[in-house]
Amino acid sequence: MRPSEQTLVAYIRDNSARLAAACTACGECYRACPMVARTPALADATPAAVMAGIRDILNDAQGTPEAIAFAGACVRSGVCTEACPEKLDAAFLMRLASLRVKGALGDPPRVTTKHDPRWSARVKAFARLTMTEQERTEWL
Amino acid sequence: MALNPDTSVTFWYGCNMARHGEIVRLVTQILSAVGVEAAPAGGPAYCCGSPQEANARIAAGMAARTVEKFNEAGRAKVVTWCPSCHMNMDDLMAPVTEAAFETQHITQLLAARANTLHPLLVNPVPARVLLHAHHGFNGRVPVNTDVPNLLAMIPGLTMLDHPLRVPAHMCSAIAPKPGELARAHLETLDAMQETGADTLATVFHSCHRDAVSLERARPIRVANWIHLLADAMGLPYTDEYKVWRNADDPRAAIGEDRIVASGDVAFAQLVEPELRRPPIISNGIP
Repeated sequence: MRPSEQTLVAYIRDNSARLAAACTACGECYRACPMVARTPALADATPAAVMAGIRDILNDAQGTPEAIAFAGACVRSGVCTEACPEKLDAAFLMRLASLRVKGALGDPPRVTTKHDPRWSARVKAFARLTMTEQERTEWL
Repeated sequence: MALNPDTSVTFWYGCNMARHGEIVRLVTQILSAVGVEAAPAGGPAYCCGSPQEANARIAAGMAARTVEKFNEAGRAKVVTWCPSCHMNMDDLMAPVTEAAFETQHITQLLAARANTLHPLLVNPVPARVLLHAHHGFNGRVPVNTDVPNLLAMIPGLTMLDHPLRVPAHMCSAIAPKPGELARAHLETLDAMQETGADTLATVFHSCHRDAVSLERARPIRVANWIHLLADAMGLPYTDEYKVWRNADDPRAAIGEDRIVASGDVAFAQLVEPELRRPPIISNGIP
């Protein structure tokens, strides 16, 4: 099946499995992450154990509380990719884990996420102030 | 006939850039000045799916629609602004819905045309500038190098170095984490003091909308990098969001006629609370 024929859900599942299989859970990405020291739930966590939990999340398992906290803490700093000795796109791996703990694939969310239910209306309200009618017609 | 991707592009400015219409306008003017005609596209109709990322099915529908609209527009290049949009296009959108265009970030395009841009930067901008740099996105697009290199071409402007890199790809990602945005702002102010900077150059819109209130804490200027290029090119603009955000009374700063014309109820419910939100830090006090 060509990627363009896949749904996003299938694409996330396929790439989750691919990256989980390639990841050795060595924990170098975890050690490099600037959010670890800023996340109280990770205070007593060990890098290899957390990353083993991340692999579980990517493989459709629940994941440990520490792994869920780490996935939920991801803010896309991207330093994990530079740190990965396997040269994996660790930032993408963590992005997928983050999407999954947020419930993107239909599971109950495992972390609290910020969602603005009036985002679209808010964007349009600002546009009515900052753009001319013609600009809104052509640009939005 | 296919449009030449070197001279005719879509400028995908994202959604929350609607707060900064002047930046969209200035980018199109700057691109035109370096020989690229840009058709801006953004807002909810061109969503990358990010606001609905907790539901992949909804996000997928929004993302597919956006890719299809860009395909239909017939321009072979989509120039991005927002790092979330850019990474979503690379990572989740184009791999799922076939894209008939290449993607390039605005910083990459202008860096590639630096030789054309340089002679247009004629007005001195006396400023000691620190870049508001993040860790994220720089591994994908070297914004932390390209933006300072572009700004350093401005006469009178001095770019300053500091190792501070705020986590995330832009401030909206750390904003929901308790205390993190305040910490980032305090560290940024400290870095400005250490380097003797008088101007903070933001790269992205979400950083800019939060950082502008730092002007209330210290005697500094907060400007987006596009504003600084515009200053040097003599392009007129007003950073209205900053004016409104830092006004004692945003309603008065905007004017009732304009508010009524834009929709008073929507303004009161959707815009005004954000503009009246207290600054993350104030008057230098943590």
